[in-house]
Formats: sequence, structure tokens, C-alpha cells
Amino acid sequence: MTQGFLSKNPSVLWFLAALGLFTLCVTVLSETAGVGLLSTSFIKTLGKTLCLCLIAVAMDVVWGYCGILSLGHFAFFGIGGYAIGMWLMYARTEIIVIRSLNSAAIPPTPEEITDAVGQQIFGVVGATDFPWLWAFSDSLFLQLLMVVLVPGLLALAFGWLAFRSRVTGVYLSILTQAMTLALSLYLFQNDSGLRGNNGLSGLQNIPGFEKTPQAVISLWFFWASALALGLGYVLFAWVVSGKMGSVIRGIRDNESRVRFLGYHVETYKLFVFTLTAIVSGIAGALYYPQAGIINPAEVAPIASIYLAVWVAIGGRGRLYGAILGAAVVSLLSSWFTGGGAPNIPLGFYTIQWTDWWLVLLGFSFVAVTLFFPKGIGGLFDLVVRKGDQK
Amino acid sequence: MLRALIIALALCLPVSVAHAQSTGQSPTEDLQTVLQRHADEVANPGRRSVGDLIADLVGSGQPNVATFLERWQDKGVYQRSTDGLFFYAKRQGDEYALTNMTTGEPAGSVPTDIMTEIRPNGGVRRVIGAALVQFQLSDPDRARRVAALDAISRSPDADQIEPLRDSIEGEGDPVLRLRKERLAGHLRARFGKSTDDRIGAINELSSALDVETRSVLNLILTTTSEVAASVPEGTNVARILGVGTDISEAEAYARLVSANLAPAPIPRDAIKAALTANITDGRVGGIPVGQLGSEASRTAAYDALAAAGTVPPSVTAEIRRAALASNIFYDAYTEKDAAVTDAARAALDEVEARVARYQIIDISMDALSLASIYFLAAIGLAITFGVMGVINMAHGEFIMMGAYTGYVVQLFIPDYTISLLVALPLAFAVTFGAGVAMERLVIRHLYHRPLETLLATFGISIALQQLAKNIFGTQARPLTSPGWLDGAWVINDVVQIANIRIAIFVLALIFLGLILFVLKRTRLGLEVRSVTQNPGMAASMGINPDRINMLTFGLGSGIAGIAGVAIGLYAKVTSEMGSDYIVQSFMTVVVGGVGNVWGTLAGASLIGGLQKGIEFFNPSNTLAAQTYMILFIILFIQFRPKGIVALKGRAAGD
Repeated sequence: MTQGFLSKNPSVLWFLAALGLFTLCVTVLSETAGVGLLSTSFIKTLGKTLCLCLIAVAMDVVWGYCGILSLGHFAFFGIGGYAIGMWLMYARTEIIVIRSLNSAAIPPTPEEITDAVGQQIFGVVGATDFPWLWAFSDSLFLQLLMVVLVPGLLALAFGWLAFRSRVTGVYLSILTQAMTLALSLYLFQNDSGLRGNNGLSGLQNIPGFEKTPQAVISLWFFWASALALGLGYVLFAWVVSGKMGSVIRGIRDNESRVRFLGYHVETYKLFVFTLTAIVSGIAGALYYPQAGIINPAEVAPIASIYLAVWVAIGGRGRLYGAILGAAVVSLLSSWFTGGGAPNIPLGFYTIQWTDWWLVLLGFSFVAVTLFFPKGIGGLFDLVVRKGDQK
Repeated sequence: MLRALIIALALCLPVSVAHAQSTGQSPTEDLQTVLQRHADEVANPGRRSVGDLIADLVGSGQPNVATFLERWQDKGVYQRSTDGLFFYAKRQGDEYALTNMTTGEPAGSVPTDIMTEIRPNGGVRRVIGAALVQFQLSDPDRARRVAALDAISRSPDADQIEPLRDSIEGEGDPVLRLRKERLAGHLRARFGKSTDDRIGAINELSSALDVETRSVLNLILTTTSEVAASVPEGTNVARILGVGTDISEAEAYARLVSANLAPAPIPRDAIKAALTANITDGRVGGIPVGQLGSEASRTAAYDALAAAGTVPPSVTAEIRRAALASNIFYDAYTEKDAAVTDAARAALDEVEARVARYQIIDISMDALSLASIYFLAAIGLAITFGVMGVINMAHGEFIMMGAYTGYVVQLFIPDYTISLLVALPLAFAVTFGAGVAMERLVIRHLYHRPLETLLATFGISIALQQLAKNIFGTQARPLTSPGWLDGAWVINDVVQIANIRIAIFVLALIFLGLILFVLKRTRLGLEVRSVTQNPGMAASMGINPDRINMLTFGLGSGIAGIAGVAIGLYAKVTSEMGSDYIVQSFMTVVVGGVGNVWGTLAGASLIGGLQKGIEFFNPSNTLAAQTYMILFIILFIQFRPKGIVALKGRAAGD
């Protein structure tokens, strides 16, 4: 983070300032710290939106800058969520179990506690034993490590296989889609060890903070999400600037030419793919404690396509564009589907937005692709002619 | 008046009996006569003694014996207390309407008080039922013969062998005759008189395939789990179980406990309860309560209590080991004769080997039909994606459109055959139109930007899906297949295939031929191929690339529509059915090799075969099968990135 980096990328400073201001406003307007204009559930929505913005930035880097249309990044997001969810669920169930066992005359043995926790967590899928996947679930540190390691290693292995055999373009997109489909199908099984389609639930309760009201916890997670987004933005801005950034964009524009110039294209692609997967995992780990529940439907292929939709609507190839797209589309989406938008009576038929929002989104998406290939972010170019992002 | 009538009747009846006897003089006696000879037994039958009566009845050869037995069993036979004669009677108000047993004609009405209802008990009714079976087996009514056979297979027993065998001779219906022979074989195998007879019957069974035969063999091979210090004399041992290898130690010990050969282990909860109950001054057995948070200290405390005699002693590891070592665990056949069980085992092995062979054929047929569904779903995509290079994420929604077209047609045309014939071309027309419209309005502007085509068509896909949901609702709509597509082609007891699957297979074959013909043999196909390979050159040869692209895309979409009708017949029609097939379809095309119809066929066969193959090894879990299949495909593409049938040379493009 040298002086040179920031002076070459003034948009980073602008973004950080805007994010900071936004965070401050939300904090002041929240119930806990001030005015109380924003409800706890809305703060959670905002916090979740920030996490979605973070994965959108990652998606933008891998697609908009490196030209890899990954339709599987939500798989990494989900893995991050599952990894943290396992600890949250285990630790919280353990606290409850110990409390109930302590009311007996005799102190519980470790075996009794493990059995009771297993019964609580896996009773719903007809099992009682802990699967091997949960081997580290009692340790927050190890599970946090999983948040980073599992998506990272999966992306590394997948990317290494795919890039090495020069699967590119559409084929790679379909392959990544197959990957996330396989993951969601696996998770849907009851004997996957992750509670099948019940998923993990009760994640909004943070072990050790039972007394803290959700209003406060939601604010903490909001701050954490804002911090993660800020750091992620700076990291990716750094990655896509300078010489490495030029190579990455070169790969997007003409992979063969970059290869002939002597760069090891596969390494760059693998680096970008893995790094963005890790950031996606972290975003997921912050998202799901705010959502409270994670289930296999979250990693269905359609989620990853939506991610590409956000980035395309926001504007590919500019980091703030991805953030705009994710924020605008996901907030609009929850506004429309949550019944926030007024219905339009046409006399013979009433347009109910809960039914028609997806139609609108679908067609507006076609319109954006056809008429505004630069997305919402492209509007900035009209205002600021000397925009340095390209 | 009434009395007079009764007396007249009473006088009349013996006369008629006497008359029958006097005129008949035949070796066969009248039914009533036989019954009168055993009057006490008929009126008050006993399970053991009723046999003679029934034998006599059957021996009399009277045609109405079966009717009598049935009515007797149903408590429809009454005895008149005035003269001891038997009648069929039916209550009508205060009176009974009598029926003469011999002639079957009405015999007037009598007051209720002079008739005694005969109520055979359950045991007797069973004996009667068994005797009835032999009549029913030769009954002229086919339904009753079937019912009798069903009754035998429900509760087979040794007495049925003879009547069943006797009835085979006169059986005219070949299906029933086969069934009778088979059933007689089953009965002989289970209840045959001699060992040789049974072994002979069992050996005959080994050529069968049906579930019933398998269950008969399994019944003969029923084992019970036993444990004893030494195997008793005369036991037909199936196998000796090794503790720790064939049977877990915990399971083996549980067997010992239930056979009263070892003390029951004290479960953890009971130990805890015992400790809780014996807390004195904050200590249990001398150990402070606070230290009882581990298994070791709990065991120590419990042993201390046991030593003091307050609780039963715990089962230590030594006791367990000694008990396990001094006993033999074995499975014993309930059938005592080892020769019979050996023969049954050999027969069952043979039957099962044959069943397994047929199952492989069955699985292959399943795989073939799944492959044809994937092929149908993907063939349209093979044209739009494979030939034109357009990624149409809305392809699945075209399938859905076709299916809904079929559904709407059925709403207007109630005859399913006609509606299907109308729906197929109409679905093609609708989706052809939709495809052309989409190509004109959207895709035309996005050639050379394949990834953006993907996103734009995805937008169309979610919009169409939601529109379908708004119009048709979220619940599944039925697309009923015509009657001649119901049912299945049954080859034998293991291999059978539903007609609808055959129809889909045939449809897939037709499409393969049609597409190949259009692409290779027609002017349109030539132009399509030329535009695909080099649009600029094709245009300078006078081909209009715009028009060709439009038609090609329309063709691919139209085929998706027809596939939708076929898939709708086989599965339910929902707004989400397209998304179920889209990823699979893309994989089919990619695995098969882009730009080649044969490749799509190969891809569909590989994916369908693989999925069914994996399901065969883990039948309970289709999700796992799909997961492994996708993983396999991901790996497969690493090694053959261009698919199974890779285009070479200039045709490969890029």
C-alpha cells in the first residue's frame, strides 16, 4: 500500500471514504447506537449485502479482469458458510447440552456431552454420530482456517486441472457450473454429514454471547462485513493494478498473445481463481451468521449465475461497478419480493411485484446486455470523461 | 294355518328324500342323506373329528357339496329342530326362508324358533376352507380358481399338494396351468413327503426366475441366530460366526444376554442413575461427586458400590471376554435336513445368478431410456450450441414451453391420442417461433460475444420461468399419456420396460435420423454448415447468413419443444422442469463433443449409462449417483477437453 498505489488508484480512496461514511451513517441510525431509524433486520440485510458485494468484487476480478466466467463461485461462498456454521452450531449446541447436563447431580463425562451434541445436531437426519467432516468443529480457530483452506484448496485443485488442460471460455463456465451442481447435490444427501437439505440453522446465535441482543450482534457483523469489503477492495485493487494487473487483463483480451510473450498464463489464472475463491469463502463465512441458516439450495448453480448477473449489471472490469451491481440488484430484489413495491392495478389485472419481479429482472438483464454492455458503472464514464478504469 | 303348512312341508320332505333314494339307487347318495348320517357332527363339528364327515361328503361325488361347504363355513346352514333336517336359510323378518339343499329350490318359510343356526368354530372353518380349495381349483369360474390359487400361496400347507396336483390335469387355461404347476412345485419343495421328493422339487425350482420361487427357497433357508456352549446334536448349522469378524463383540454379547448365558451389561445411563441414587455426603463410593466427570472415576465409584453390595456388580471386560470365548455363535437352519438346505442353497444361488444377469439387462434398458431422454433434451442444444456456438440458457425453458403446449392442447382435446398428435407439431411451431423471435431480437446482436449470450439468455430463462409460474401456477400440471402408452413390455419377471420409455427411445431415434438427414442431405443443412464454418465466404456465395442463423436457431428450439412434450409425458410439467435438464444437457453436448450430432448421442449414452451404472451399485441414492457422475464428467473433460467425438482440422474452428 505505497503512496504510489493509492495515487494511481484514486477510486480506492473514494470507495473507502464512501464505505466509511456509509458505515458511520448506518451505525448512527441503528437502534443500538443512536437514532433507531433502521431496524435490526434491515441492518442484517445491509450487512448481508456488503458480503454479497465482496463476492461480487471477487467475481469481477475473475471474470471482468481475467476473463474466466466462473459459474461456481457461490460454491466457495457456501463452503465458507458451512465451515463457520459447523463451529457455530457445534459450540452453541454444546453450551446448551452442558447446561442441561449440569443440572444432574453428577458432572457429565466428555463422552456424554459428545453423544448428546451429536444427537441434537444429527437427530434430524436420523444419525447420532459425528461424521469425519466435523472433526475440527469444536475449534473456532481450525474452522476459521477451513473457511480459507477448503475453498482455496478446492479452487486450486479444480483450477489446476482445468487450466492445465486449457479448458477455456464457455467450456470452463459449464465445468464450474457442474462443480457447483455436484456440490449442491452432494449436500442435499442426508448422509453427507451436513444435515442434508435441513442445512445448518440457528447460526445467528453466537456462542458465548447469549446475553447480547441481536441488535448489537447485527451491528458487529455489519462492521465486520464493511471491514472485510474494504480490505477485499484494497487487495483486489492492488492485484489488478500494476504489472500483474496488466498481465491479467492481457489474458482476458488475448490469452495466446500473453502466452507467446512468455508469461505463464496458467499460473496467473490459477492465482486469480484461487484468491477470489478464498475471498468468496470469507464473504460466505460473514454472510451466513447474519442470514442465520444455510442449506444446499444456497449453492445451487442458479446462485452463481445470479452473481454473474450482478456483476454484469453493475459493470464488468471496474471494481466499484461490481459493488454497485450487487448492492442495487440484491436490495431491489428484496424490496420487490418482500412486498415493498406497490402493486400496479391495471383494471383487468393487478401486477403483483412478488410475481413479476423476476420477469422484470430477466428482461432488464437482457436490456443491459444489449444496450449497456458496461452496466451501471458505465454511467460514471458519461460524467467523468477521464475515468482511469479500463 | 301356518302350523298346518309347516307340518305339510315336514311330511313332504322325507317323502321327497325317500323318493330320491328309491329312484336313484345309484352308488352316489343324496347330500341330505350323507349329512343325516353325520347329523351330530354337522350340527356340532369339532376340528379333529370333522375330517371323516368331509371325506364322506367329498366321496359322495355330489355336485352341490362345494356349495354346502361354503354355506356351512359362512354359517348359512340351519337345522330344523322338529325333524333334524338341514336347510340353507335366510332371515326374513320373524321367519327364515328355507332352501332345499339337494334341489336348491325354496322350501317355504318357518318361524325362527324351530331353526338352529350351525356355527362351526374357527378351527373347523379352516378345515372346511382347505377342503373347499380342491373344489375351487376346478371351478368353472376362472376368477374363483385364481382366488383359490391366491389362497394357497398366501397360506401354503402340506394338505394342498394332492388337490392341487389333481386339478392340474383338467386345467384348460395355460396361464393358470403354469401357475398351478409352479405352485405345486413350491408346495412339494416345502412340504414334500420324502427328502428325495423335496430335493427333486427344489432342483426343478432352480430354473425359475420369479419372486415367489425365490421367497420359497429363502423360506426353506430361513435361519435363526443361536448361541450355545456347543452346537447341539442334529442342528443343521448354516454357518459358525467368528466374534469380531462376522459379528461384533457388542452384538455377540447381546445375544448371550438374551439367551440368559451371561449377565446383562449395565448401560451408562443406569450406572449414572445408580450413582445419583447413592450420593452420601457429597460422595459416591468414597469418590467426591465433583470428580465423577470421567468414565474411569465413574467405574471406580460404581465398583465400590458393587463391592458394598448396594448395586449389582458391573460386567467387566474379563467377564465379557470369558463369556464370549466359552460360547459358539452360529446360524442354524430351521429346516433340519441338511440335504434339503444344500439343494435349496444351490438352487437359490443359481436363481440369483440368473436374476443378476437379467438385472444387468434391465439396467442397460433403463440406461438406454435415460440416455434417450438426455439425448432428446440435448439434441436441440447440440444444434444451437454445438453448430452455431450460441449458449442458450433458455433452452430448458423451451423444453418447458413444449410441455405446457402439450398440457394446453389436452385441455381442449380430450382424446389423448389425438391431442398428442396435435401437440407434437404445435409444440414445434410454438418453440420454433419463440426461438426465431429470440434470435432476431437478442442473439443476433451478440454473436462473437458468447459469454454475454449466456447471460442474456439466462435473463430470458428466468423471465420465462416466472411467466410460466404466473400463468400456470406453481403446482405440477399433468400431461397424460394415451392408454396405449401405459403399461409395460414384460419380458420376464426381472426385465420389463415401460411402453412410454420405448416410445421416447423411438422418438429419440427418429430425431437422430431426422437431424442427420437435415444437416447432411438437404440444402438447408449444407447452408447451415457453410455459415457455421465461414460466414463471410458463405455470404459471398449467395447464402444469407442472417436467414440461416435464424432458421437453425428456430430448428434447435423447435426440437426442444418436441422433447418437452416427450419429457412431460414421462415426468411432471412444472415451470422449473427446464432447469432440471439444462446443466445435464450442456454436459451431454460438451462431453460428446461440440458440433457433432453423433457426439451428442455418445455423450447422452455415456451420461445415461454412467448414472444408471452408479445407481446399480447404490440404488437407494440417486443424488449420490448424480454427484459422482458430474465429478466423473469434470475429470473426463480434463483429459478430453474436446469431448468424445472431437472435430479435427478446419472444422474444429478456433
